[in-house]
Amino acid sequence: MPLFGDAGTIMLTAGLVASACAILGVMLVLRGLSLMGDAVSHSILPGIIAVFLIAQTRAPIWVILGAALFAVICVIAIEWLVATRLVRSDAAIGLVFPALFALGVLGVHQFTADLHIDLDSTIYGEIAFVPFRVMEIAGVDVARGLVVAAIVAVVDIAAVALLWKELKMTSFDPGFARASGFAPAWVSRMMLVLVSITAVVAFESVGAILVIALLIIPAATARLLTTRLLAMVLIAVSVGWAAAIAGYGAAVAADASIAGMMGLMALGAFFVALGVTAFRRWTTESARFREAQGRSK
Amino acid sequence: MNVIYELLPVSGTTALVALVALALGITAGAVGSFAVLQARSLVGDALAHAALPGIAVAFILSGARDPATLMIGAVVAAAVAAALILFLERTPRLRADAVIAVVLAGAFSAGVVLLTWISASGRGDQGGLESYLFGQAAGAVEADLITASVVMVSALLIVGVLARPLGAVIFDRAFSSSIGMPVRGLEAISVALLVLAVVVGLRMVGAILMVVMLIAPAVGARQLVKRLPPMIVLAALFGGAIAVTGALLSSALAVPTGPVIALVGTATAVLLVLIAPSRGVAWRARRRHVNHSRLRGSELLMALDGTSQTGPMSEEQLAREVGRNLRWVRRGVRSLRRSGLADPDRGAVALTEKGRARAAQDRREVAAWSAWIEHGWRLDLPDAREPDPLNMRRSLGEANLRQLAELGQEGRDRAPVR
Repeated sequence: MPLFGDAGTIMLTAGLVASACAILGVMLVLRGLSLMGDAVSHSILPGIIAVFLIAQTRAPIWVILGAALFAVICVIAIEWLVATRLVRSDAAIGLVFPALFALGVLGVHQFTADLHIDLDSTIYGEIAFVPFRVMEIAGVDVARGLVVAAIVAVVDIAAVALLWKELKMTSFDPGFARASGFAPAWVSRMMLVLVSITAVVAFESVGAILVIALLIIPAATARLLTTRLLAMVLIAVSVGWAAAIAGYGAAVAADASIAGMMGLMALGAFFVALGVTAFRRWTTESARFREAQGRSK
Repeated sequence: MNVIYELLPVSGTTALVALVALALGITAGAVGSFAVLQARSLVGDALAHAALPGIAVAFILSGARDPATLMIGAVVAAAVAAALILFLERTPRLRADAVIAVVLAGAFSAGVVLLTWISASGRGDQGGLESYLFGQAAGAVEADLITASVVMVSALLIVGVLARPLGAVIFDRAFSSSIGMPVRGLEAISVALLVLAVVVGLRMVGAILMVVMLIAPAVGARQLVKRLPPMIVLAALFGGAIAVTGALLSSALAVPTGPVIALVGTATAVLLVLIAPSRGVAWRARRRHVNHSRLRGSELLMALDGTSQTGPMSEEQLAREVGRNLRWVRRGVRSLRRSGLADPDRGAVALTEKGRARAAQDRREVAAWSAWIEHGWRLDLPDAREPDPLNMRRSLGEANLRQLAELGQEGRDRAPVR
């Protein structure tokens, strides 16, 4: 049994992935690129096929490299289309990722029909299996997925902390950022590359659905509750951890998919936040109404 | 029906697939125009993912896996997801993309939970339900053609009747609502059309590739026209052309239809973004290049003309004079020589007669621009447009230019002598 036990490993891994995703997710939501996670998850297909054809291997490191290459191609192409200012970001996403996915589907059809490549087990990992793949660090067995998630989380937190001021400026006012001598295009590009690589690495260890859900739902929840960037990041990370822990409990109780349950728990948090904001709006509005009535008397 | 096939230069199956694709492409192009203009173009993606829990629920309730039952489940789930998106879009702080992404991720999580629950509770094999999302165009039958045609005709009718009000809602929602238009209802109709197109497309080309069919024709058409009605017509035509091209190409190459249509669609849209007249990337780059070299030439001309007393200058001297690097100057001198403004002899740079005339003209333009900056507000102009600094004569007219020159002269006469 790995360090932290099976249940602990799963919850910790999901929580760390949730932290990395929530931080990047906030930046995506503020830039109107919320569907990037879904886009990356589809666009990596040709990368996996290409690695399979060229290197004849299914070793995780090669598959991750091939997938990451196409993930980066995907985000750079989307960024370029948006930068022409002729296509809005949602349409740019919708033009790029299905095309890459289509290339992948054609590749599967042409080359791998007889190789029987099982895509689900090649790149899209399953969080329930994380405790079974262990590695030894300093004489202690630790789940490989947990180590990967920890590295990803640390790298993402460090990168966002380093670029905090730049990200803040380019998220809220790219024009002002450009005028003050920052290069918003490069900050965005680096952030998107970080998103694509994080997503690919996380897909391999915990599966695509969990990553897509944790990238967007906690960040959107935080966006409902606050307008301050730091508070947004902290709330998003907390929602992510809560979804990871509650989702595991629910999945065990209902004997259903862990990743799916974590996504549903995050969705639950989103609706709670929606209720809270609606209630807040209602109370301020009725207070204003009473005040106005009092004045008219 | 057979008569139609015999008129076409391809085999029966290919003709059927191509005709279904044509109907689907026209529908997607017309309906997609609204989605693209409303920044809702990825609603199709969310609806397609939302079909998964619908399919799972239909399977749980009926225990059967026949296509019609699953289709009903998919339609109901997509409609619920669309309603949820419309409802959540009213939340002030969330943009459309965040709402769509939340619904997509939430619905797909629910779908996965339901699928694992089906297999855990021993209700039979759930394997293959997901593959419903990926579509099979080659398996098209005549019933599909009838469905696709009916959907096409009804979608085009609705779009034709409602194009004007829908356009008003897209371009100025607040105004439309203030004059009493049923804004919510119109938005619901445009999303309902999207649901219709996605559900039909799901079976044909698959969920993900349907996204391109909705977006590519509209993005392409938008590059060529500005007004909504021509854009819808053009997008419908592009959609049909893209779908038929993809279908014929895929049958010629013996590969799956959906991916080929998607690739043709993206290629068309990107090509138009590159080369669209006066707007595309290539055109803008060319215009930038032309302006750039004209400005460079003018800077060099004025420098050479200003120092005419000292005779011709070497390129190095010229670079020092204008404060630019040597490569910049060399490139400029080369183009001056090519257009006959500078003496074509190598070595020192000297202006020709034509060059001197052009330099004097450019100097007048610069003076006119400075005068415009300083005194432009005193001119009596019919509109408030800024003149083009690269062509003052055309944008202001001779009379205004003369007046500007006088104002400029007056200003210089009054300037305090230091």
